[in-house]
Amino acid sequence: MWFYASLILLCGLIASTYLSVYYYDESMRYQSLYREAVERLNHLKTHMFINVLINYGNGTEIWYNETEVPIGSSLLDVTRKVAKVDYQLFQYGAFVTAINGRGGDPGYYWMWYFWNSTSGKWEMGPVAADAYILHHGDTVSWVYEKASW
Amino acid sequence: MDNPSICVMTISPKKISFIGIMTALCIVTNYMLIGVPNVKFMDLFVFVSGYTMGMLSGALVGVLTWLVYGTFNPYGFNLPTLAAACTGESIYGIMGGILSGRLDLKTDRLRFHEEFWKDNLILGVIGFLLTFIYDLFTNIVTALVFEIPLIACLVAGIPFALIHEVSNFIIFFLLGNVMINTIQKLCEVRRN
Repeated sequence: MWFYASLILLCGLIASTYLSVYYYDESMRYQSLYREAVERLNHLKTHMFINVLINYGNGTEIWYNETEVPIGSSLLDVTRKVAKVDYQLFQYGAFVTAINGRGGDPGYYWMWYFWNSTSGKWEMGPVAADAYILHHGDTVSWVYEKASW
Repeated sequence: MDNPSICVMTISPKKISFIGIMTALCIVTNYMLIGVPNVKFMDLFVFVSGYTMGMLSGALVGVLTWLVYGTFNPYGFNLPTLAAACTGESIYGIMGGILSGRLDLKTDRLRFHEEFWKDNLILGVIGFLLTFIYDLFTNIVTALVFEIPLIACLVAGIPFALIHEVSNFIIFFLLGNVMINTIQKLCEVRRN
């Protein structure tokens, strides 16, 4: 009788050891994920995500989605984060002359737009790039185009 | 007079037929249960082959089954893993051969009395322990082949190993004794 009981216990021991090791590992993994999530949430208190589109005017359009920048960053800050930007400072603000080396063609300028989610349309930026303070989830675009004025 | 320098391993036609049938049975049931990971009748069949026909036959059934099933497998082919699976699977057959002289499962016990259930329990435990060894061995080889940290590989394999071991306990417990006795009756084969 004891022999059979010990056989069953042996199998039970292996199975329970397996389960305890597995759940210990799982608990460690979830604790680590929880810590990461908390760190991420704390990070979000001071950072935001912006979607940036750069249209080079030659058919090339590149999206930089979920670009992470500190809260209070301007359009110029986020653009400088995703691309090499040349600009000049005037009294009304920064004037972007080239993005990633593209710019300077006669009559062509880098114009910026923001996505109006209410109207569902792109709208032209009302101020200079360094004067436009972004908010979490904003979608903005730079377009290299011939000026209409 | 026989030349003592030449070692000839003989295997009877009956055994060859038996190995072929059992291998086919293993392959068919493996493909049949391909959607149920780690629940297979193969381990029992290999063990029973070893138990009824000797460890060489059992090991051959295991190796031949894996050569087919491991090569034509929807989950992919990997030679070192296949070699490990062949080796691991042959353990069932070898242990079946070794234990056949010790377990002493009798045909007349194939009735639902206490001895029958005791034999079943022992077979269930054997199935569980052999599967434990098999899983441990194949997981170690997988870790080495794919250069995964050993502990991580073993821990990640625990749910699969547990399913494999518990299902084999149940399969060996419920079918082991019945199958061994049935084959022994049918073939009237007794180990020497």
